[in-house]
Amino acid sequence: MAGSLVWRLIRTALGVWGLVSAVFLLSRHDANTAVRLVLPDPASLSQSGIGADSTARRTAQAATRRRLGLDLPLFYVTWSGASPAGAARWQWHGPRNQYHQWAKGALCGELGTSFRTGQEVTAQLREALAITLPFTGTAALLAVGLALLLAQQLAARPWWQRPAQAALVALHAMPLFVIALLLLLLFANPEVLTWFPTYGFDQPLDPESSAWHNVFDYGAHLVLPVAALTLTVLPELTLQLHAALHQELRADYAMTARAKGLSEKRVIRRHALRNALLPTLTQVAELLPTLVAGAVVVEVVFALPGMGRLLAEASAARDYPVLVGGVLLTGAARLLALLLADLLYLWADPRIRWQT
Amino acid sequence: MANVTISSLSGPQKLALGWLSALVVAAIVAPYLPLPYPPAVPDLTQITQPPSGAAKHWLGTDPQGRDVLSNLLFGARTAVLLTLPAAVLAAGLGALAGGAAGFWGNSGRPALRYWLLGLTAGGWLLAGPPPTAGWVAALATLGGALVLATRRARPGWPFPLDSLVQGTATALDTVPRLVLVVALAAVAGEVSLLGLVTLFTLTSWPHPARLVQAQMLRVRALPFVEAARAAGMTEGRVWLYHALPHAVQPLRTVLPLSMAGLLSLESTLSFLGIGLPPDVASWGRSLAAVRYAPAAWWVFVFPAACLAITLMSLSSLTKQQANSR
Repeated sequence: MAGSLVWRLIRTALGVWGLVSAVFLLSRHDANTAVRLVLPDPASLSQSGIGADSTARRTAQAATRRRLGLDLPLFYVTWSGASPAGAARWQWHGPRNQYHQWAKGALCGELGTSFRTGQEVTAQLREALAITLPFTGTAALLAVGLALLLAQQLAARPWWQRPAQAALVALHAMPLFVIALLLLLLFANPEVLTWFPTYGFDQPLDPESSAWHNVFDYGAHLVLPVAALTLTVLPELTLQLHAALHQELRADYAMTARAKGLSEKRVIRRHALRNALLPTLTQVAELLPTLVAGAVVVEVVFALPGMGRLLAEASAARDYPVLVGGVLLTGAARLLALLLADLLYLWADPRIRWQT
Repeated sequence: MANVTISSLSGPQKLALGWLSALVVAAIVAPYLPLPYPPAVPDLTQITQPPSGAAKHWLGTDPQGRDVLSNLLFGARTAVLLTLPAAVLAAGLGALAGGAAGFWGNSGRPALRYWLLGLTAGGWLLAGPPPTAGWVAALATLGGALVLATRRARPGWPFPLDSLVQGTATALDTVPRLVLVVALAAVAGEVSLLGLVTLFTLTSWPHPARLVQAQMLRVRALPFVEAARAAGMTEGRVWLYHALPHAVQPLRTVLPLSMAGLLSLESTLSFLGIGLPPDVASWGRSLAAVRYAPAAWWVFVFPAACLAITLMSLSSLTKQQANSR
């Protein structure tokens, strides 16, 4: 068990590293665009008289390149295509290249500085995570708890299985952004119902108001995002758990339990549920990355300055260090989820514990 | 989908199939319809107008003055042109990669001439074609391959195909597809429709590949594969004509589901304003406009209903096929 767990973690870690390296190399491959986006417009420059001679502009470009660390060669070896002799040449640069510098920093927890704002990427990510983690964590706990509750209720009361399942399947088919928009338009809309605030989460707290008021305000801003995330994750979890529970309740041991005179509720709680949980635990490993991806949509819809919006904005502005850092963090979330799922297996299935 | 007949479908599934066919027809004929207003061209005199026949904006206009009906029709065109090819290409790529990985595993020994061809092609790609040396190498390889082809093919060294495919699939799966596509779309900059199809294909092949690989492990142990080998067929022919057609069976069930996933991904990307250029109509982009006019229900309801009905139709078709197997 421990061996296979370590092996799986190593394989996933290698996968994450490979993917992030690929994204890094691909993004740096085209460094000219990033430099062009960082520098002001040539049109506005020509008005101020600098852009008139191109040497000044070229100097500015070179300075920007050096500041962003783009003047170094990209990888350990590069291909210089147009050498004067016409012969093809491979060049070896040694450790003085962008990838080596980035990888060395990433191993020490330094992810470079943002192209756009000049801030440390780690600081930016930490700031964004402080907003994203509370509401995604709440959504994850809520979804798992509700799925457990709902699946038990469904199994105990067969007559509302069909309508509930149909509703869950329909909900499962909807993309997250439609659900989030619907919630926004229904409950935070001056034309319909104004129960919750929509914007203004990142405004500074009012020092005059009491601490309770601040806490209430914080909660009110997060109700709709948590609801949207929970609603998208819930159907899959519930349907899977329900199917597993349905199968377990037809097993012989469930019939024995019923023959002993146990109530249906007790049969589900004490006998079938733990067995039905086993196949569902795999989905917990999927839950964390799904929530990270969901945060991208939810934070854009509800204007929360978190991880997802950071990624979306970095993508629009081609802020590659932030983007690569975000992908690395998402991969780390996947690793964490795998570890968590395996620990849950260990808790839920005593056979695994006895083997070791 | 060969054995799915109309009579085997239930009522809702017939409806679903009808809706999807109507969507495909709308996608094909959209450019030839006599629409009063083209899509993505703002009519600035009429912003956020409710549906009415007076100004010939049958379904109203959005806060940028774009006609909702035209955007719906051309959004359907984008959806069909994007998800159908991407789903089919991803399934094809996954079937080839997963099928080969499952059939040969890590112990496949490509004949010497394939090694030579592969190495030369790889070197060519990395180095670019230098003027003379490249031609000489290419001619030599071609000649060598021809000479080797006439004799009995000699197996070369084992090639770790299974590890390669599985490793790439694992690496692509570690990050959610939305995050990966957002990152890659930024790298590629403004993506055209064709570019987005490529991007979707390259990021969604791991799932079909896993399915086909698992099925191939079962198929390759069946007696008819052995019989084909005993009949003297080459490994490649056994794989392509005998094993692969059986190994791709699981893909039939998941194709509608993968199309639904791609459609949802595409509309989410357009909603976020990433990927497709702003003049390409898309349901996701139409939906994004409602945030500027929260009272305009018609901007939200029509595209959202189209999206929801399409996604539910696709998922109901999946269920039917799962039951029929």
